[in-house]
Amino acid sequence: MAQSIFTWLDERLGLTEIYDTILDRKVPKVNWWFTLGSASLFLGLLQGITGMMLSVYYVPTPDHAYDSITYIMTGVQFGWLIRGLHHWGASLLILTAFFHLLRVFFYGAYKYPREFTWFTGVFLMIGALGMGFTGYLLPWNQRSYWATTVGSEIAGTVPVVGDFILRVLRGGTDLSAVTLSRFFAMHIWILPAVIIATVCAHLYLVIRLGISNIPDRDS
Amino acid sequence: MKEEHKQEYKQKYEQAKQDGVKFWPDIIYKDLLVSFGLFILLVGLVTFVGIHPEAKADPSDTSYIPRPEWYFLFLFEFLKFVPGKIEWVGTTLIPALAVLALLALPFLDKNHLRHWKNRLTGISIMGVVVLGMVGLTVRSVITTPEQAEGSAANTIQDQMVLGQEIYSVYCVECHGPDGEGGIIAGVEGLEGVDLKSISSKDEMYTRSDETLENIAAFGQQDLGMPPYGLAYGGELKKTELESVVTFMRYTWDDRVELPEDASSAGAIPEIKEFEVPSYEIHISRIVQRYCISCHRPEKENNNYLMQTYQEMLTTGDNQGNNLIAGDLNSYMLLTNKGISILDPVSGEEIIQQMPPTKLMKDEYIHLFEIWVLNGMPETAAEAEALTAAGQEE
Repeated sequence: MAQSIFTWLDERLGLTEIYDTILDRKVPKVNWWFTLGSASLFLGLLQGITGMMLSVYYVPTPDHAYDSITYIMTGVQFGWLIRGLHHWGASLLILTAFFHLLRVFFYGAYKYPREFTWFTGVFLMIGALGMGFTGYLLPWNQRSYWATTVGSEIAGTVPVVGDFILRVLRGGTDLSAVTLSRFFAMHIWILPAVIIATVCAHLYLVIRLGISNIPDRDS
Repeated sequence: MKEEHKQEYKQKYEQAKQDGVKFWPDIIYKDLLVSFGLFILLVGLVTFVGIHPEAKADPSDTSYIPRPEWYFLFLFEFLKFVPGKIEWVGTTLIPALAVLALLALPFLDKNHLRHWKNRLTGISIMGVVVLGMVGLTVRSVITTPEQAEGSAANTIQDQMVLGQEIYSVYCVECHGPDGEGGIIAGVEGLEGVDLKSISSKDEMYTRSDETLENIAAFGQQDLGMPPYGLAYGGELKKTELESVVTFMRYTWDDRVELPEDASSAGAIPEIKEFEVPSYEIHISRIVQRYCISCHRPEKENNNYLMQTYQEMLTTGDNQGNNLIAGDLNSYMLLTNKGISILDPVSGEEIIQQMPPTKLMKDEYIHLFEIWVLNGMPETAAEAEALTAAGQEE
């Protein structure tokens, strides 16, 4: 019975093919440093899941953002855990992604034929930093308010277009409800969409080209 | 890269694959193990380190030292080295070049060799950059001054205590300890003004928290109430104003009920029969609520300060008469009962009733009397000893 269900599905979905191409393939013998990529993926997924959970109660307005987070921390069952995971997970993700980048650099894995994988990886690193920057404002506490004030000020020093960037970031001359609204939209819709698409490209390339091998002395 | 190098790499890679392992389960198993370890680490961090509590954003509090997330600190620190006119070099040029270099790395490094010993230049450059980032981060952490702990009162209980404290200092001299208002006495510029109550049903039912906060922040300047919010030249931060509003709401509005765990916060404990009250537990709290608003420096108060035990006993123009151990004719006890003190020579009033607008509850007046009769003990331990001694007799 189970066999026939599997066969029925397999004929239509190509399960065996997926298994053969993705899971049951030979890859070079590598060391533990090669787990950093999947660790970043895992932490990214965890950020997605905890982030979705937080969005149930979080309210992106200056009047309610801070109180809604206080409520998550004190009033919601395991809210402290979910927010804590999101908070610490962000830092850990930056670390694993950065070490992943260094590992790839050290083994020269960005060279032929993996140049494009490297581009998508650099984009993902920038995307992760963007998530960190936009997410930092959302709790609307002193730390986030002033860090974002200074951060957007720095963006404002870019020659020629600086003032334009500053006003786009803040939605006006000062930090306001508009700023919070924009950062929120960036943080939960725009950046995640870009990041998910880039992660897909990154993973496709990793599977298509295979993980790199550890180079020997004369290579 | 030359075609022959490409072919050579492909061959080597094929060989590595042949000598290699299966993605499932060999690689996946390692990946899962590391991810699981990280998850445990995360749960540990959340449970045992947690998240540092921060006060709500306050645009008026410019004293706050901005600090970005730790992974931006190196950039933040780096900018200190390129000040003024060339700031854009640090904020734009160098970061842009760094990102471009990183992106274009496969084109910049056309060498087909991969082993680190064959790429010493590249490895050294990256090493210096990473060390520099770490160094800048450490430098930033060391050189950024410690943030003065803001009053991050998050629970109602903390807000009540903070709110009561602030209300006592800033509001009581005009609005009275219970918001009852009345004719203002002893406040420069507002002498004799008749204030309506701010704790009445009318007020509480028709003023929202936001309105109350705005009034405290901006004042009612046409009516003589000065602004208290930092944004309008006052001294109070947003969190402090909010705490005052919380205190007012939960104390005077009969529609809201104080959560049980918060109701004991800042309360003045009652004394049992024969118990001797102490400055530490009883008097200081009453003084805080009813007296301190005027009896602090730079107020009209005959130079009588009441911020500490020492001050209460030793300051003031009438020092020596204000509090005399065992003497029911101490000035404080008389004025607390509504008896004003007259100058023995000219017969002029030198001290009016205290507090000037409305006397305290009998219970508190009585508490002061017992305290003075028992020699004004400072600490709870002293008062306890006196209680015990009294009961033995």
